[in-house]
Amino acid sequence: MPLSLELSNLPDADVAALAKEGRETAFRELVRRYERPVFSLIFRMVRDRETAEDLAQDTFIKVLNHIDRYRPEFKFSSWLFKIANNVTIDHLRKRQLDTVSIDGSPHAATAAEAEATSVDVRSRGESPLDEMEARELGSAIEQAIATLRPEYRACILLRHVEGRSYEEIAATLDLPLGTVKTYIHRARHELRDALSHLRS
Amino acid sequence: MDRHLLPEEIDQLLDGEVGFGTAPLKAHARACAACRAELESARLLVRELEHLPRFAPAIGFADRVMAHVQVFVPWHVALLDTVRGWLPRTRAGRAMAWAGLGSAALVLTVISLWLITRLDTVVFAVDMGLARVRAASFGVLAGAASTLFGDGTVQALRAGGAAGVMLALFILVLSAAVAARALRAIVAGARRR
Repeated sequence: MPLSLELSNLPDADVAALAKEGRETAFRELVRRYERPVFSLIFRMVRDRETAEDLAQDTFIKVLNHIDRYRPEFKFSSWLFKIANNVTIDHLRKRQLDTVSIDGSPHAATAAEAEATSVDVRSRGESPLDEMEARELGSAIEQAIATLRPEYRACILLRHVEGRSYEEIAATLDLPLGTVKTYIHRARHELRDALSHLRS
Repeated sequence: MDRHLLPEEIDQLLDGEVGFGTAPLKAHARACAACRAELESARLLVRELEHLPRFAPAIGFADRVMAHVQVFVPWHVALLDTVRGWLPRTRAGRAMAWAGLGSAALVLTVISLWLITRLDTVVFAVDMGLARVRAASFGVLAGAASTLFGDGTVQALRAGGAAGVMLALFILVLSAAVAARALRAIVAGARRR
């Protein structure tokens, strides 16, 4: 049986151990398992396919080049998501995108300022890539997620899209458990508010 | 319970927490239409979130990642992989390979045992073989030395015996080392220019 087929049945920790031994197929297996979850998380955080692709690539390169630092007593996916989140938050800080929502910056003092900083997902279709992004992230719930603060967004996506427990999220994002619960509670509340007009 | 559910209590029910504390909350949600609607709305949101699609990066993502990853394969892993690559993939092929290896091992064992019983003959044959190889090698070397340095050198080496040969070899190695060093210095000088 080829090694790649054997690898697909192994738990993450065993695949990571094989990667530590220098097996390229194990590195590829880890990428195969997590490219979609990591890319989806980052894409929903930055809302730009090209940037998300670059950041996801940076994440995997960092993780795989430092695989010897991985400690098997922790979940591999938690370590990976932690690095993905750090890379994304660093990017958002650098670009100051964390203050921009699709409805405009919350710091905007006037309607004109809010208009200037707003991102119209549907009207951006200038290139096929933009159109694809608009299609992918254009649903009401995706737009509502985009209005959340990055910390809330990361928590709610990890909780409900990735199915992580509160404890795992706390470990992944280096936040106290109580803070994670608060963020998720607030995120749910804000999302329900943002989507209420569709339900009424 | 004489009040509506608090937001954190709705969260508790949403997260499916169990225990004594949640029983009255569930009972209240069943009895109170407003709280039931609130809980249902929250559950709907969670369902929508859980059904969000996972996006795929562009094709070739893994290759682009791997182009920047330094994979260091230790020699024992590489050796093991090479050996594994030689093994037949099918069960029948592996069985045949094991049968072939077993037969070869058996034949070698029988030959070794036979050689041990005829040890004196083996020693005699090995000695004779070595003497012939030595004579042939010396003949080739003498021919080469005679061509390069003339017959006088060969006669001097023969007269000097083993010590003479060792001295000649030492001079040869020393000359090669000096030549290599000089060549390196010339190349380095040319690169600097």
